[in-house]
Amino acid sequence: MSPPATPALVYLDHAATTPVREEVLEAMRPFHDQRFGNPSSSHRWGREARAALDEARERVGRCLGARPDEISFTSGGTEGDNLAILGSWRAMKAKGRRAIVTTPIEHKAILGAVHQAGREGAEERVLGMTSEGVIDPASFDSLVDEDVAVCSIMWVNNEIGSIQPLPELAVRAKERGAVVHTDAVQAFGKIPIDARTQHFDFLTISGHKFGAPKGIGALFIRRGSALEPLMHGGTQERGRRPGTENVAAAIGLARAAELAVAECRSHCDRLERLRARLEEGILERVPDTVIHGRGARRAPHILNLSVPGTDSESLLMALDLKGIAASGGSACQSGSISPSHVLSALGVRPDLAGAAIRMSLGTLTTEACIDRVLEVFPSLVAKARTLAAQSA
Amino acid sequence: MKGERVLVAMSGGVDSSVAAGILVERGYDVVGATMKLFCHGEDVPDRPCCSLDSVNDARRVCEQLGIPHYVLNLETRFGHDVVDDFVSEYSRGRTPIPCVRCNTFTKFRDFVRKANAIDASWVATGHYARVSNTGLFRGVDENKDQTYFLWGIDREVLSRLILPVGDLDKAATRRRAHVMGLEVIAEKAESQEICFVPDGDYARILEQKLPPDAPALSPGPIVTSGGTVVGEHRGFARYTIGQRRGVPGGFPSPMYVIAIRPGDRAVVIGSRDELLGSGLVARELNWLAPPPAVGTAVSIRVRHRAPLAPAQIVRLDDGAIELALDEPLAAITPGQSLALYDGDRVLGGGVIDKATGRRASLPVLAA
Repeated sequence: MSPPATPALVYLDHAATTPVREEVLEAMRPFHDQRFGNPSSSHRWGREARAALDEARERVGRCLGARPDEISFTSGGTEGDNLAILGSWRAMKAKGRRAIVTTPIEHKAILGAVHQAGREGAEERVLGMTSEGVIDPASFDSLVDEDVAVCSIMWVNNEIGSIQPLPELAVRAKERGAVVHTDAVQAFGKIPIDARTQHFDFLTISGHKFGAPKGIGALFIRRGSALEPLMHGGTQERGRRPGTENVAAAIGLARAAELAVAECRSHCDRLERLRARLEEGILERVPDTVIHGRGARRAPHILNLSVPGTDSESLLMALDLKGIAASGGSACQSGSISPSHVLSALGVRPDLAGAAIRMSLGTLTTEACIDRVLEVFPSLVAKARTLAAQSA
Repeated sequence: MKGERVLVAMSGGVDSSVAAGILVERGYDVVGATMKLFCHGEDVPDRPCCSLDSVNDARRVCEQLGIPHYVLNLETRFGHDVVDDFVSEYSRGRTPIPCVRCNTFTKFRDFVRKANAIDASWVATGHYARVSNTGLFRGVDENKDQTYFLWGIDREVLSRLILPVGDLDKAATRRRAHVMGLEVIAEKAESQEICFVPDGDYARILEQKLPPDAPALSPGPIVTSGGTVVGEHRGFARYTIGQRRGVPGGFPSPMYVIAIRPGDRAVVIGSRDELLGSGLVARELNWLAPPPAVGTAVSIRVRHRAPLAPAQIVRLDDGAIELALDEPLAAITPGQSLALYDGDRVLGGGVIDKATGRRASLPVLAA
């Protein structure tokens, strides 16, 4: 008899990062190789790189409904978020608007940038949320007033997947004269984005969330928006982001973005089906599982759940040792897991917040992955609960 | 046994790193974990354990050994079981040993639960002590023996505990680290201080945790055993039995803190003779062997690294043990640990409640 096959590894952390797609690697290769020029150089090599970079900018622009001059390449989500918030707040405060509005469920890149603006004199205003992770409209109406310089709202939450009605909110914030930024890192490729019909001024995307390499992203900057650069030096990216451009990665970003937009519908349908199977399968086997954000419109790739009587740290370790990758709350510098600020902000009980597991689906997710999780997860939960009961 | 899973507590120091390496060599399915026990905030200075650098060192060692590494957040429980107790003991005029509480509650209870959660049948640490036939024994390296801090652990843990460096001396452990190629940590300095007390200034922790008007940190009298007030102190929690620093001079012989009386906030000082006790009472007992009978002769230790002292059990019930010492010992301190031994074997221990049989104190005349 042959030995039992080792169960395949299951990667359910696509919201953290994704593998670089083959097509993307292929598109990038020449720019690590013969076409290595610096786009700022005026010679043949430079021109070739410049042409590729210009083209990449146009292609990324098309994916967002933007003109090429509205696209600034960045190193990723954190840089895009910081540049948008600090850059536009510093430019706006001269006009006498002092407040920044955001949500308590933003990525740390937003919260950190807003706190920095706070240290520079901004008034920080935090929107009220429903327990499902959606902005409370009354809170939005009362906080977004004529004092607001910047209003930054995450389109799709990275932990629970809840979707904000960003286009409507953007219209209302613009009516009051605020600059609107959205962190669309988890939204891109999942939700149709079109700068021609939607009224955000700034929008952040990050390549490695959809098959481009780490270290490349883009910030959409609507024409006419005031923005102070964070770094100073050359004139690259219209002086808004000086430094020699990462040509190969920009081309990779363009290729990955085009694929993500082209496949958006079919990809989302597939993920929706897989997530429904996963979610229903877990609820069937562990009926008291709490699914976070279940009452909200949710992006199809994120499932965040808590099983009462367990803790995320132990469950994640046990899952990992079975070859299943998922994630917990916010990892701190040391790598230890603290209860998520997102779930805490939504009023989730501390014991449930401390038990939260995020499973995020993507290109690597197959029916077999879901089968494997449904086979392993309930038994790990049962064990964790038995142990918790013993030590209580 | 080969192939069985063991969870190793890794501080990023040489002892636990070599412990993990030895288990990998022995063929165990080794999983490393660093306990995050407290947070000094964003500016984490390099501390012997729990600092970011220590976590990074532990992770680097695990990467080199080819084993998974996790960081376990035990801050809340450690804060409650160890730090709060530390503060409350000082408030009662006692001198606690947080490492004992950490071993009892955190390393050998909370950590063992994490082992259960990942189906690890074994747990291991880098302590210098030995486990054999489900008994706990002193480590081979007499200078490094850590059993004084381990008397409080749950006895049933012993049947699944591995202490791989207990058979080594420190120099040998460092040599093993080099042989394993763990240069990151092979020559790392020893941690001697209390991990959550930055720069050894424990009073600062008390100041942070206690209200400003806490009696333990408020001025009170320094008195002789005869009752003469000879000075004032800035809080009895800044003193421990046997201490000379902060004690007024001008006496014919050196004076020591011989008692702390939280009731009237007094720090009592006396001569070397007055520091001696010929017996002691300890509570919060824990046994790692069948409890010995009254009348049994045992060896005891009332201070880390002190020589073993012969004593006899004169009273023993569920709550307390009383011992008569063959020779008087100096500075038997409430809050410190009593560890009992039969030869190399740790029988158990408790927390010292008071010294007994102090010499009748003689009036001290100011010179």
